[in-house]
Amino acid sequence: MTGEQDNEFQQYQALDLKIAKALQIDVPELKMPELPEIDSSGVTALPQRKRSMMPVWFAIAATVVLATSISVRMSGVFERHDSLPEAILAHIDHEPDALRVTDVTVSNDRLARAVPASIAVYERGESLITYAQPCVINGKSVPHLVIQGEHGPVTILLMPDEKIAEATPIDGENVKGVILPVGDGSIAIVGGRDEPLELIKKNVVNSVTWTA
Amino acid sequence: MTSSSGQGKRRQRFDSLVTVFYQDMYRFAAWLSRDKAIAEDVVQEALLRAWKSLDSLRDDGSAKQWLLTIVRRENARYFERRRLETVDIDNLSATQAALLAESPNEELDDLRTAIFGLDDDYREPLVLQVLMGYSTNEIAEMMGLKQGAVLTRLHRARHKLKDSVAKE
Repeated sequence: MTGEQDNEFQQYQALDLKIAKALQIDVPELKMPELPEIDSSGVTALPQRKRSMMPVWFAIAATVVLATSISVRMSGVFERHDSLPEAILAHIDHEPDALRVTDVTVSNDRLARAVPASIAVYERGESLITYAQPCVINGKSVPHLVIQGEHGPVTILLMPDEKIAEATPIDGENVKGVILPVGDGSIAIVGGRDEPLELIKKNVVNSVTWTA
Repeated sequence: MTSSSGQGKRRQRFDSLVTVFYQDMYRFAAWLSRDKAIAEDVVQEALLRAWKSLDSLRDDGSAKQWLLTIVRRENARYFERRRLETVDIDNLSATQAALLAESPNEELDDLRTAIFGLDDDYREPLVLQVLMGYSTNEIAEMMGLKQGAVLTRLHRARHKLKDSVAKE
């Protein structure tokens, strides 16, 4: 990127940051409308099929149930854990694809989609970001990034709504890390057991500005 | 599985999704309609519609786009029903003005007014990209446009906002 392009990109980012702040109007408390009872009996009461067709239908139904169950689990929407470190470790376990060793960086578009300006601005700097996805942890929107560290992938979770009083260690079976308090939120940084995280922690914290 | 436990799980699923995405739904409705009271009505209708068709949502990972699409349609229905006239920025109703009179920061207020004054065609993709984090491809899909058209609208929207901020 040339100096001029860099300058233009920074101006673009600064304008987007202001627009994002302007768009974040106060939201009134949720008033749930009265929800009518839904008759979903039709879903299970399939018309009787010929005996020979049963295995096919059973296989299709089983596949749909399994796929739905996996996608629901992957979404993290229903997951509830006793502690934030547990929720983070469970989430990392649910997205093993994120932890590929690769040198293919995600595009700026992809990064902007994972970290919308309404949540935070993330200066990508020199880090090799190889995964960027908007996720849900403990029922809250959390940008999930992976950068390549010295010994392998390092997970970064930006949690603007998870305020913590002090740095909290994360200790998994093959991974270790920390949740750092940053402003009104926190950032989790988790890598392999032999990954030196000090410099990464410093760079990540300096790269993030909450906008929420 | 009994019918009541099935209903319970369905309700639990719905509540979880709404808890996560309610703020996005409301803000999207507010910037589409430019009126806080209308936004509340639109969101109420959208919640009802989402509840009725929840079983059609196979993947909860797509829930945000699904809910925002419902909000978009409900907003369109609302305006079709009411046949509302174009908003005159110098003659706002109390609930329209409420959208603009929130921040003690003057620069933010000016920008909010400028966004409010953008044409719907420009404001909607801007909200979807900056506030909701969608790619231009996804916005094109949601709005039934070509990606090039979305890029043009976004460019013009930013250009207009940049100009209005510079004029202040």
